[in-house]
Amino acid sequence: MSTQEQSVDLVDAATALALARVALFAALAGAFAFVSFEYPLSPAPVTLQVLAVFLAGLFLGPVWGSVSMAVYLVAGAVGLPVFAGATAGVGVLFGPTGGYLLSYPLAAGVIGHLAHGGPSLRSLDDVGLPRLVGSLVAGVVVIYTVGTLGLVYFGGLGLEAAIVGGTLVFLPAEALKLVAAVGIARSDDVALD
Amino acid sequence: MYAPGTSLAHRLDPRAKLAVQVGFALAAFAHTSPRGLLVGTGVVACCLWAARTAPWEALTELRLLVPFLLAGPLVEVVVLGPPWLAPEQAVAPALASYRTLLVVLVAAAYVRTTPTRESQAALQWLVPGKPGRALGLCVGLVARYLTVLRADLRRTRTAMRARLGDRLPVHERIRLVAVAGLGRVFDRSDRLALAMRARCLSWNPTLPRLRFGPADAVALGLALALIGWALTPALAPVLASLV
Repeated sequence: MSTQEQSVDLVDAATALALARVALFAALAGAFAFVSFEYPLSPAPVTLQVLAVFLAGLFLGPVWGSVSMAVYLVAGAVGLPVFAGATAGVGVLFGPTGGYLLSYPLAAGVIGHLAHGGPSLRSLDDVGLPRLVGSLVAGVVVIYTVGTLGLVYFGGLGLEAAIVGGTLVFLPAEALKLVAAVGIARSDDVALD
Repeated sequence: MYAPGTSLAHRLDPRAKLAVQVGFALAAFAHTSPRGLLVGTGVVACCLWAARTAPWEALTELRLLVPFLLAGPLVEVVVLGPPWLAPEQAVAPALASYRTLLVVLVAAAYVRTTPTRESQAALQWLVPGKPGRALGLCVGLVARYLTVLRADLRRTRTAMRARLGDRLPVHERIRLVAVAGLGRVFDRSDRLALAMRARCLSWNPTLPRLRFGPADAVALGLALALIGWALTPALAPVLASLV
């Protein structure tokens, strides 16, 4: 039996906290995929995954927010049931809805960067309402642009059908999540240390 | 979801299984023709046989995808104006939907036969250094906290309903559920970070040992063949010019 010696390279406190938050935001996105609300203006029940993308960008910033959403995708790809309807596997990422999912890290990065005015995190209390709303709208644009391209490339749909069936009908529900995200960012119930 | 078992696919190294998945996805996208997808169907049958998984079992778990797969061809077949139906337009989306179905089935065979811990070790092998360690650690934590956070959100919604919260506007209900979820995330992540450091969280832990056996070599051979087949359309003109 052979033995091996090596020194232990400990993870520092700030990185440990960042990794814990990254993992838990990814898990929250997975948990949000199970939460659905009926909404008359939406053709399908509204799930909260996109809200998790908004919150990751706003509360973790562009860098860790993107990393968190990338972890969410990898967790789903290796088999954890974190995608809508408790689905998992690489196949979902290459399916008709794969474009929406693949856009999440980019969207979280865009939201975080625009809201915080750069790569570093600052208090959301210092972010003005127009900047906050503008960053979330930009995130929605990223998600639906990449999602529509995914419908065309992975789903074989024509561009027109993809825009109507994959974007326009879902925008009222996204407006709802956007309003909720602004309310959360402006509320005193959640405070980031 | 992972199901413990002793099938051939259960015994394979996760790295070989990941290679087959990637090779198959590339090949399916490069050969989205009736002939290519027929060959792909054969490969899928082999993968499901190796995983001792019936196609309908895998599809039951992935039933949410089925409407999306059917929607593509149905949306394209209808045209606004005479003759109202254009079946020829449905061919491309139908082939794309079938391709997705095949890729999803191969992925389902991986998911059913690979525990998260093995995937974690494969990820740490695939992505070297600290990023790989961080990725493996985070995926393991997602596996551990997913059910906990789901239960948190379920309790929040039950409490909200008990207080007639389901009569509130939808955006307010969404806000309440999300605020509760976020609060739990921050609370748990602070305690988790402290607990991980108390247990000497390090960048160089002892990893589970991955073993690459003869059966894995066959699986890797299949993956390489699929990748080669996927590259054929792109490389064919280059090869033709050389000859």
